[in-house]
Amino acid sequence: MEELTKYISTISLSLIITSYLVIELRNLRLSAYAYIVQAVLMCSLFVIFATKNHGLYYWALTAFITKVVIIPYLLLRFIRRTTDQEFPPLIGYVGSILLITIIVLVFYRITHQYIEFVAPTPAAMEEPFRTNLAVSFTIFIMGLYCILVRRDAIKTVYGLLILENGVHLSLVSLAPLLRETAIIGVVSDVVIAVILLLYVISGVYEKFGSTDTFQLKGLRW
Amino acid sequence: MNFEILYLILAPALTGVSIFLAGKKSRVLSEGLAVLGTTITFFFAVRIAFLTTRGEVLTLFREEFRVDALGGLIAFLVAFIGLIAVIYSLPYIRKEVTKKVISPERLRVYYAWMMIFLSSMLWATTTNNIIMLWVIIEATTLASVVLVAFYWNRDAVEAGYKYAMLLTVGITFALFGCVLLYSGASPHIPSASDPLKITEIAKVTSMIPKSIVNLALVLLLAGFGTKAGLVPFHTWLPDAHAEAPTPVSAMLSGVMIKVGAYALIRTVMTLYPVYPDPIKLFVVILGILTMLVGIFMALMQDDLKRLLAYHSVSQMGYIIVGLGLGTYLGIYGGVFHLLNHTLFKSLLFLCVGAITYTTGTRLIHSLGGVGKKMPITAICFFIGAVSMGGVPLFNGFMSKFTIFLACAKAGMLWATLLAILTSILTLFCLLHAAYCVFMGEIKIDDATHKEVPAFMWIGMVLLSALCFLIGVYPQVVYPILNEATKAIFSMMALP
Repeated sequence: MEELTKYISTISLSLIITSYLVIELRNLRLSAYAYIVQAVLMCSLFVIFATKNHGLYYWALTAFITKVVIIPYLLLRFIRRTTDQEFPPLIGYVGSILLITIIVLVFYRITHQYIEFVAPTPAAMEEPFRTNLAVSFTIFIMGLYCILVRRDAIKTVYGLLILENGVHLSLVSLAPLLRETAIIGVVSDVVIAVILLLYVISGVYEKFGSTDTFQLKGLRW
Repeated sequence: MNFEILYLILAPALTGVSIFLAGKKSRVLSEGLAVLGTTITFFFAVRIAFLTTRGEVLTLFREEFRVDALGGLIAFLVAFIGLIAVIYSLPYIRKEVTKKVISPERLRVYYAWMMIFLSSMLWATTTNNIIMLWVIIEATTLASVVLVAFYWNRDAVEAGYKYAMLLTVGITFALFGCVLLYSGASPHIPSASDPLKITEIAKVTSMIPKSIVNLALVLLLAGFGTKAGLVPFHTWLPDAHAEAPTPVSAMLSGVMIKVGAYALIRTVMTLYPVYPDPIKLFVVILGILTMLVGIFMALMQDDLKRLLAYHSVSQMGYIIVGLGLGTYLGIYGGVFHLLNHTLFKSLLFLCVGAITYTTGTRLIHSLGGVGKKMPITAICFFIGAVSMGGVPLFNGFMSKFTIFLACAKAGMLWATLLAILTSILTLFCLLHAAYCVFMGEIKIDDATHKEVPAFMWIGMVLLSALCFLIGVYPQVVYPILNEATKAIFSMMALP
């Protein structure tokens, strides 16, 4: 495991970078490709951890099928039918990157240092699980940032996908022996959520002419 | 092995699938299958409720599914309101098709998703697996997205987007919470037992590190609290409940948020013995806040359905306060109010649906004198209003009084006073709305306006009768509530 720690750290950093790309790229198609890269990196991370916990090979396969194949297919098909340019958010590139960097640094530092508050077992507090948990929480918060700050409805779906990635990544350290039925249930939920969200957003596009969530203010009070 | 649990979940699911496939042929086939499916589901739910509320615990597949008295009660309520909603839908949706609000092909989509929605809620009340509980609660959201956005106009689509987005994000927090609970408990569970089972986790909660318990608690309250409509995670509720077709609103407000509360009970209340006082105070404060925000927002509404939706938020506050106290009386009051709220909230939504069916609007300022043409609806609405307001002789009074007493006994007099204030404001708000809508001068004068068809008022009259019956003779539900409260206590691993 120790010799793989270097790979784990590299892949974890790459996950954070791909999350940046997914959030910041204004072209939704390129964001989808960045998401595919992130999903492939996650699967390789699962495979590396699977050398210690063999149940994770199944996780890696399920994650590959859903995150690399099915979900990007749904997103790209939807973008082709509607628009591939994100509706510009309020915060520009510079402000947004600065804000995310601060959030990422603070969060990573806190979760890595005070891992006792999150790790349920002493084994989970050791490297490489420590880095894994810290990275998963960081990606979780990046997903939440994307949902809260972005104006385009499709971008919020990307934010949700990053949020879910953060949670699924944490399962490596928190629940490595999770049964297959539970894994299938969790990932199929995400797939169906994406299908239905895109269905409703297609309605938003049809009725409002754009995917700008600021227009959705008919039901304020 | 009690296979009725499997049939309970499969009956509506298979009906939904068959409506999708076969419903294209005729409308009557979709409607007939839906009524048949819900009736069969109702019979299984009655059987399960009958067995469990006498103290039996039903299990299936080596405790993968487990129904105790609480689960049986909620499963019964889900199936009961589901049956009433489907029968109510028959003339309601037909009229929407006649008015060309929806196209005829959408009728089978409606009934199919209603069945799948029903099936998902019944699965949520019967599962004993903590990760599957999360999966199925998420499934109840997904099963109802199409129903919320059903009318496919600007407001419905906006409501559908907010509903799907807010609930999915909120429930992801709950996933983190469930995973933390599972991973915190699994080292302490013997290898022969399955650590995914909620009953196994409940036995070892005192051994989970305290920091994990804190974090899991916050995440679960945020997550399943979003589903249950707790403040500040309630913002999806008024939009979704108002824009959905009325029978769907009755199910969303009447039973879906109760299933969210059930998930809260199953996960959060297992942690009670670990950290008694701080958790209780936190949950009670959250409940009181929910009550107050709900009622103040309701007072400002002109749209009848949004008004009722905000009242749902407020009444969920009562249930959370009762459950949060953690005492026998508090939990008893919480479960009692859960039962009562299901009855009178569904009743009120069905009455508002009847008004919309006849007059075409649900705005208070454009309605008046409706009671002259629709006396049954008017009486049913008044009964629902006084029940929710807590007037004696109706069911709301008994459950609210229990919660007031429980708060006072726990030494939280401030909570009792705020709860009483909310109750008075609720009564005022609803009676004011009822007076404006049903009495006074007729504002929309149309000779064709008359009382709704029997399929619609039969459910309303039945629910009103139950509200009155439980109000004058509450002893009829006491044994059921006692068993449900005992079931909750048996989940808390007392030190």
